Amino acid sequence: MTTTVSGGPGTGTVERGAGTAPAADGRPDPGSGAAGGEPATWRAVASATGPADRTAAEAAVRLAYRRAGLAAPERVVWTGSPLEGTAAALLLTGVGDRLPEQVTARAAAALRAAGAVPGREGAGRPVRDEIRTRPWAAERQRLLAALGPAGWAERWALTAAPLWDLTRALADRVRTAVVEELARTPEDERTVRLAMLHAVLGQHDAPWLASVAGPPAPAAPGAADDGAPATGGTPDPGALDGLAGVARAAGWWWPYEKVVILSERPAELHRDEAGRLDRGDGPALAYPDGFALYAWRGMPVPAEFPARLADLSAERIRAEDNAELRRVMLEHYGYDRYLAESGARPLHRDETGVLWRIELPDDEPVVMVEVVNSTPEPDGTRRTYWLRVPPRTRTAREGVAWTFGLDAEEYHPRRET
Amino acid sequence: MYRQGDVLIVPVPEESLPAGTAALPRQPRDSRGRLVLALGEVTGHAHAVVGPGLLVREPGPFGASYLHLPDGGRVVHEEHAAIPLPKGWYRVVRQREYTPGAVRVVAD
Repeated sequence: MTTTVSGGPGTGTVERGAGTAPAADGRPDPGSGAAGGEPATWRAVASATGPADRTAAEAAVRLAYRRAGLAAPERVVWTGSPLEGTAAALLLTGVGDRLPEQVTARAAAALRAAGAVPGREGAGRPVRDEIRTRPWAAERQRLLAALGPAGWAERWALTAAPLWDLTRALADRVRTAVVEELARTPEDERTVRLAMLHAVLGQHDAPWLASVAGPPAPAAPGAADDGAPATGGTPDPGALDGLAGVARAAGWWWPYEKVVILSERPAELHRDEAGRLDRGDGPALAYPDGFALYAWRGMPVPAEFPARLADLSAERIRAEDNAELRRVMLEHYGYDRYLAESGARPLHRDETGVLWRIELPDDEPVVMVEVVNSTPEPDGTRRTYWLRVPPRTRTAREGVAWTFGLDAEEYHPRRET
Repeated sequence: MYRQGDVLIVPVPEESLPAGTAALPRQPRDSRGRLVLALGEVTGHAHAVVGPGLLVREPGPFGASYLHLPDGGRVVHEEHAAIPLPKGWYRVVRQREYTPGAVRVVAD
């Protein structure tokens, strides 16, 4: 585990913006199915941060329009985030008059910079169906026919599925935050959600692209235009190359007949080892225009919450009324410190570890096993972990066994490292 | 059974495997040719098996994983000592943690 004692499992690691372009990520990726030696993975595309490659993205947009039998868009609008992109889409299609002023001003400036004229006439109709939905459906249908239902299911399980939940959760969090920022009434919410339905998700389309578009590495020059159809169960590198190209280079984008709105990728993305948004000292997800989400181990927290985490004490934790936030504070402060300061005593101790219990007002007690890593660190010390277990747990062995889905009498490792 | 950090590897007699286990989708090897039992999302550190064998996974987020080592093998990790495994079938269990109202996977 990479855990620090104070942080609990899954914290203390950070996924940071600078230089994490997809191709730079060479770590093993069981989900990509990419051939050995190919450094880029769809997993890396999905979590890429840093400025968009605008030149590559715009070229890929033109390619996607061409593949769909459409003329290239006349105007290209760049926005700083999915929030600003959604606002620009609303303004462009003439339904943005009720937006909050601050976001509207930025989105309007982005439109003006590209020479795009607000109002439906100027944008033309949304063309997401032609650009994304139909080519994707056709390519899936072709692979389904070639591989058979079982073969297609297996391909999905090995390529898209490992990325699906994480990426969908991230996109859902972005959608929720955009609605919160832009909509003041239920009617507004419908309008805002509709505008997001016209978006292609760029990097967040990585899961399904992984299933139908082959490895994410850019195709060799010219290969995209040879027009030769792929055969059998092999993804056709030409069919979705425009979409794949935008995904590699940018965030969400809105294709309209005459205008395309593109948006930047996050500047910062901090997740825990389980892939949930997680940061104790700033936004867990932040875009260059300031649009940001705060979360601790996946749980949304108020923007001002990280500042409160910086100055915690056992007394302040006990004084927090909100049980969920108190839990977050406790995890951040460190169970061990809290136990020491509150004079807690172990409930039980055996060769698997130590069982602790913290009583909390108006909440169920925190019961944890303290487990020592069997492999020593380079300095000879052994790292300690705190894992929360169900409150009814009575012995350390029962607690550790539970973390592996076993009963106490079943849990007898022959060897531990 | 064997524990390497947050992964438990439990021997399963072949006759006790759930029906259809051997026909489940085979997990691909990583770029280093290893079978990855569990991957840290941020560090990229992996509990991985080197050598011949296969890893299958039941569909769904909580689907079980089974490892078959016809000749035995070794499970390695960047931060833990390697563990030699005798030949046979194993169920691979990822450690979880209790959260009120939910259960979440631990990752290292």
